Order: sequence, then C-alpha cells, then structure tokens
Amino acid sequence: MLSGTETDILNSVVRLRQASRNQIRREIGFSLEYIGFVCRYLTRKGYLVFSDGYYSLAKEGIKTLLQDEDPKIDKKLIKQIADEVAKEISGELKKTVKGLKIPVREIRAPQGKKDEETREAVKIKTDFEFPIEDETSVLKSNIGKVGINTEKEKSDIESKVKLFRNIQNKGMKR
Amino acid sequence: MKKKKVPEIEGLKGEIQKGKGVDIGTMFVKCAVKEGDEIVFRSQRDAFFEVEHTDFTRKILDNSKVKYIIKDDKLYVVGDEALQFANMFNKETRRPLSKGVISPTEKEALPMIELLVKNVVGEPTYKGEVVYFSVPGEPLDAEFNIVYHIKMLEGFLKTLGYAPKAIHEGHAVVLSELAEEDFTGIGLSFGGGMVNACLSFMSVPIFKFSVAKAGDWIDQQVAMAVDETASRISSIKESSLDLSKEGALSKVESALSIYYNHLIEYTIENVKQEFTKAKRMPRMDKPISIILSGGTSLPKGFAHRFKHILDQLKLPVPVGSVRMATQPLRSVAKGALIAASADEGKK
Repeated sequence: MLSGTETDILNSVVRLRQASRNQIRREIGFSLEYIGFVCRYLTRKGYLVFSDGYYSLAKEGIKTLLQDEDPKIDKKLIKQIADEVAKEISGELKKTVKGLKIPVREIRAPQGKKDEETREAVKIKTDFEFPIEDETSVLKSNIGKVGINTEKEKSDIESKVKLFRNIQNKGMKR
Repeated sequence: MKKKKVPEIEGLKGEIQKGKGVDIGTMFVKCAVKEGDEIVFRSQRDAFFEVEHTDFTRKILDNSKVKYIIKDDKLYVVGDEALQFANMFNKETRRPLSKGVISPTEKEALPMIELLVKNVVGEPTYKGEVVYFSVPGEPLDAEFNIVYHIKMLEGFLKTLGYAPKAIHEGHAVVLSELAEEDFTGIGLSFGGGMVNACLSFMSVPIFKFSVAKAGDWIDQQVAMAVDETASRISSIKESSLDLSKEGALSKVESALSIYYNHLIEYTIENVKQEFTKAKRMPRMDKPISIILSGGTSLPKGFAHRFKHILDQLKLPVPVGSVRMATQPLRSVAKGALIAASADEGKK
C-alpha cells in the first residue's frame, strides 16, 4: 500500500513521462533529499526505473495506478490522457472523413507553468578544490598556553548514533 | 570486530573516539569529542578587540591569562575578554563571522577564524577523521549565499587532515534532541548572526533555511533605540535578561523584550511560509516537537514567550512539545558529533 506522497510521485512521473528529482520536487514540494529518499524506495520496489538522471514508470507503478478497486491515478491525469487519446483518434478520423470537424480541447499548460517546467534548475556538478593556505602560521598567540575553555557532560549519544545509523540504513534499503 | 584504540590527544584524557562535531557560529566555535563515557566540549568565543601593542601590554595579558593574537604589529585580545575590553573602551568588538558566514568586511576574518577553529578542533586522531561542521541554511532574507563560507571551512579542515562534512545547524539540533521522536520535528537554533530552522522527518531534512535576523540584530536595534553600544547590550542580554519579568522593566530590558518578540514572530512566520511552499508534508502520525537552542534562546522565559506567540500564530501542523534543548549552547556541536560518529561507525 503506497502512501499519499508516494502515489503523488508516481502521478507526477506519469504526467512528465520522464522526470528528474528536481522536476518532481517542483510538482510535489518537499526537499530534494526527501524526494530522492522516496524515489529510491519506489525504484527498489519496482514502481519506477531510473536511468540517466530521470525516473520513469515501471511495471509495478503502472499496475498500482490502474488498480480497478482503488484507482490511484489522479482525475486530472486521467482527463489529460483522455484528451490526448481523443486528439489522436480525431487525427485518424480526419484522415478518413475529410472535411468533418471534430472539436478537440487543446492541451495547453498555463504560460507561467510551462516556462517553469522547461526551466530546470541548474545543478552545479563540478567542484573547485584548491589548497587552503594555513594563514595561522603568521600569527603568534598565547591561546595554546592559556588553554581553551573545556566543559564535559555524561555522554548520552550512543543510542542516538545507533538509531540514526539504523534509520539511515533502512532509508538506503527501502 | 575489535575496536582499535585511538591515542590520547592534547587536553583530553582517556580513550578518544573517532569523529568530531564542530559548531562554527557567529558567537562561538565549539567542538564536541567523545572521550570514554563523556562528551568533551572545547569552545572559544569568536570575537576580538585591538589593543595597543607594547611589551608591557603583552606581559600584563600573559600574567592575567588573557588570550591574544599578534598579527604583524597588531595585538588583538580574543574571546570573552574581548567583550570586556570593548565595554571598557565603549567600542564594539570585531568578529570574524557576520550573519553566520565569514565576514566580507573584516580583513582579518580568515586568519582569525582559522586560528580559532584550529585551536578548538585540534589535530585529527588519524588522517581522514570525519568532522561534521555546522553551516547555516540559505538565507531567506539576505542577498548572499553560503557557498564561499562552506568551501573555505571545508578546505581549511582538509588542510588540517580531516574529512570534513557540512551539516545544517537546525538539522544538528534535531539529531541531538529528537531521538525519542525518531528525529522528526523542528530544530531551531537562535544564534548570534542567524536563526536556523530545519523540519526533519525520520532524520531526513524536509526543509531548512536561515534568516539573517538573530541575536546581533536584537543588540543593534536595541543599541540604536537606547543609544548604547551593541557590545554592551549583548553583555546585558547574556548576563541578566529575564523575559518572564512583567513589570518594572528598565529602558534596555523593555527594548530587548520588544525585539525578542519581533524576532520570535519573524521566525515563526518564516517557518509557516516554508510549510506553505512545501505544499504537502509527509504524513506525521503525531504532533511534531519543536526544539529551541542557541545563545539567543538562553534568557529566562524565552521558551514561554515562544510558546505564547506560537499559540497566537499557529503552524499548519499540530505541534506537540515545545522545549528548550537540554544544553542549548551544546546541541549543534553534539548533533554534529552524532552524525560524525555514525559515519565513523560505517568505516
């Protein structure tokens, strides 16, 4: 059983045909890390496939979205697909029944939204690494002699580290 | 697998465990290290003040154990004493960090912050030891980004022999304080230069950001309102401010109280806006907890004031407990240490 967010991601991928993490994030909201986290899970479970930086729908995803008893595909999307099919059929009909006009609703995204969809956020992939000079070598100081302020407390982090590691591992395996 | 013993390092006794967490804030640099069954915090206030450089002054400072740094022919008092000197001369301290990042206007910023970090963090216990260092989130209300700050600190920690990784301040607060809630909730760090906020779900940040109004902003506004120096206001704020006090407030206390209200409301409104921008939230079964931390959250009555304002403004999600971090000045370094220890454990 998929959660609301997971279903939303599947619907978003269907709408976009192929979608990058960034595109899904723009449609659904949330942080990139969280979208990545859920997408990795959906890929592992066979709902999505990932290739060249893009997610697309896989077998399990299609099955889930079209389940008869509880269709998860959203109404807007059904309408959009129906419109596309209608357009295709009308094209075929036009060829066979010349002169007969069949009204078809144009699928046009609002201008702003269209721009937004095509404008993919630029992700910086390169890294500029350079040796940072230790500028402290020219400084004289008595900090070492006087000493740094030190405080201590009983450690309570062991269980937190363990839990954090477990949650992270689960995330990777999900 | 048998654990390898790590040698002792200067100033620390017992077995030092691998991984360090560093909070590099506008007010303090603080490093957390696990030593046996204790966590050791080494800290230094990152403020300095120039005094006349003579052999005599240097001797006096040495005898009184006042920390100083000499660069070229300049003598700078460093740390808490810098604040005292500034108050004595009715001037402002100089700071290597401003609004959470390396100060663009302070020409000594880089060597100063490097020296403070080096002293607080020390040598790595082995080459490539993981150190998580805190960074602010992208500011929502300021025209600067944090890339330069992160890259410079990362590069310097690498020069010291560490494998550095950045962690958002608010996220570190969540790791430190919200284990019982599976690291789900909001971590707020009210620092000197910025307020950092992070909503985390199962340890994954959903949103994180910073705003450039924080403790320094309060000091400057109050200083302008009552014609005092910001350093003096900062001293009063840190030593005696009580936000639960209802009557007989002095002029400075009234101004501080007004600007604290403003800062809290500003922070909550920005958190609300981030919820709206995120459109939908992961399904959270329980009301979320909010953790308050950082030096600016220290005055008595801060949590009560925060809860009161939150009740009026309301977040779009149910809120459970709103509480102070167990040690508000240590939670960022401790959260960073948790992340570092988890990474070291994977090796």
